Amino acid sequence: MAANSDSPNFQTSLFNKFKNHRKDSQTFILLGVFVVLFVFFGLINHNFIAAPSIISMAFQLPEIGILSLAMLLPTIVGGIDLSVNSVANLAAVVSGIFLVKILPVNLLNPALSVVLAIGLALLIGVICGMLNGFLVAYVGVPPILATLATYTTFLGIATGITGGASVTGFPDQMGSIGSGTIFGIPITFVIFALLAILIYFILFRTTFGFKIRMLGSNPTAAKFSGLKNNLILMKLYIIGGVLSSIAGVVAMSYTMSANYEYGTTTYVLLAILITVLSNITPGFGNVFNIFVSVLILQIISTGSHMALMGVQGSSFFKDFLWGILMILIFILNYFMHRKEIQN
Amino acid sequence: MIKKLINTSEFVVLLTLIGLYVIVGLINPVFFSISTIFDTLRASTVYFFLAFGLLPIIISGGVDISFVAVAAVSSYAAQMFLVSRGYDGGIWAYFIISCAIGILMGLLIWFLVTRFNLPIFSVSLALFTMWYGFALFFIGAQNNFQLPASGVGYYEKNLMTVKLPTGGITSLHSSIIYVVLAGLFIWWFLKYTTIGRGVYAIGGSREVAVRSGFNVKLILLTIFVIMGILAAIAGVFFGLLNRYFGPMDLQGDPLNVIAAVILGGASITGGKGTVFGTVLGVILIQLINRALIFLGIPAQWQVLVVGFMLIIFISMPAIRERRANKLGHSTAMTELE
Repeated sequence: MAANSDSPNFQTSLFNKFKNHRKDSQTFILLGVFVVLFVFFGLINHNFIAAPSIISMAFQLPEIGILSLAMLLPTIVGGIDLSVNSVANLAAVVSGIFLVKILPVNLLNPALSVVLAIGLALLIGVICGMLNGFLVAYVGVPPILATLATYTTFLGIATGITGGASVTGFPDQMGSIGSGTIFGIPITFVIFALLAILIYFILFRTTFGFKIRMLGSNPTAAKFSGLKNNLILMKLYIIGGVLSSIAGVVAMSYTMSANYEYGTTTYVLLAILITVLSNITPGFGNVFNIFVSVLILQIISTGSHMALMGVQGSSFFKDFLWGILMILIFILNYFMHRKEIQN
Repeated sequence: MIKKLINTSEFVVLLTLIGLYVIVGLINPVFFSISTIFDTLRASTVYFFLAFGLLPIIISGGVDISFVAVAAVSSYAAQMFLVSRGYDGGIWAYFIISCAIGILMGLLIWFLVTRFNLPIFSVSLALFTMWYGFALFFIGAQNNFQLPASGVGYYEKNLMTVKLPTGGITSLHSSIIYVVLAGLFIWWFLKYTTIGRGVYAIGGSREVAVRSGFNVKLILLTIFVIMGILAAIAGVFFGLLNRYFGPMDLQGDPLNVIAAVILGGASITGGKGTVFGTVLGVILIQLINRALIFLGIPAQWQVLVVGFMLIIFISMPAIRERRANKLGHSTAMTELE
């Protein structure tokens, strides 16, 4: 009985153990990198670990963090959503125009109009997500092409209705989300953390989440197990759209303006970069990894900016460092897995 | 035979292209002018090279993002080096230095992908941000307009010039010759070399390809070096045709090039794709942009119209495939009938 290592049960359990370990190892590496970077930049510049710098980082990262959560869901089912940033901008621009030009400011309580405008932004997110879901799930267009086309379309709508100008002049209540704090923690950061927990809950504690992961790891098997793949994809892209529009509201509230091309060239690739760094693969996703990855990128950005203060082109050094760090993490991951396989 | 031709995805793109050309031309007859064709080809030059370099990688089952960074950084580095030397000779030096840098950059991604068994997409994303950051921080953050005399003149080195009935003249730029040569090379490589056939094999099924004796490392080495060279050439042409070299050139373009290749019938999961289809895909995207001007659409709504057209054009092949699947066989089988 001792030599039962060939039995299928033993192998399956070993396989599961290996797989769980594999998932945890990325979290382990990311946390290690996080600590090392934090200490490193803290030693270089003592102001880095002071409260003002940490709070300013907490103000800056929620936008890209929420966009990465929006990117996470399609990635888990083997897709991608290139439209996240233009959904965010479209939602911000539409609700901004609604707030400034359409709502009778004097008749309504400004706080109420801000709530209505945010509701409208979320509705835009739902509609955009439905269009993405329709193209991917029901027309059968590859996600990368479908969302590239909708990216252009949403960007086009936002360009058209604003004529290229920024929308500004919101009531002060709009800024209370973007610049407000709860017990010293920025409200937007709290929103990001809550959304991350919510997505974790949906993915790992609900039947819907189980279906999503099943669809991601094997669409054919999922289909023959009686899952309605199309409907799941549709819901997934709608949730992604809503998350994107929340990112739009956060950005609008933080900058007190809405622009059709805010972050266009960098945010989408940055969100993809975070999902890659978090080791999100079809069927497997770890929300905590996303959270740590966002923190790491922000630390590098702020840290290298403070360390290179006054050097020409210093704001570009972070891009270089991001790339190097990603490659190092990939290589580290490779060596850790190779050891496990040999053992 | 004809039925087989009609059922290829290239044919669908070709029909779309002709349809768009005719419809826009009927609305505004000026669009039928020869200058539309010349201008579209000129605007496509850089994207042809980029797409040709990307095509073998997509066929092999990978998606690369970093090729635009290779193009921008290799050509910008060549420019800054030559300017610092006070170079004033021919443009050949640009191509040689850029291609050498492009090959090195191709070798780096090949090394990372094969040595550490990493997905091409992940590595290329890291290299994309790394190379642009590298150029901006270490080489320079400003566009450089100091071309040598031969480089300035190249802007209007035309192959042929045609007098328009309306009065003006229009010219076909000579760079199109090199596009044709590069296209023929990739076509020959993919169709008539063992390594080229191997690209389709590893894209179809990596496992089967390895077991049938294809050398995956060698195949990847070849296609990454080709990508490096073609991207470097694209970067130099970008600089010469726009008369400046910049560290952020093409940064917003990788997704458009990928879209052009996939519109042209290449499969994002690998194993499928042709040079002819890629050419059509690149032209289609450029022609859409050009058509808007002739349709008299106000500038602020042009992006939206491009978006609408893209939604229609990407849906057509998908709907066609879906119909074939409903009939009980895949498109591959439909094509054989």
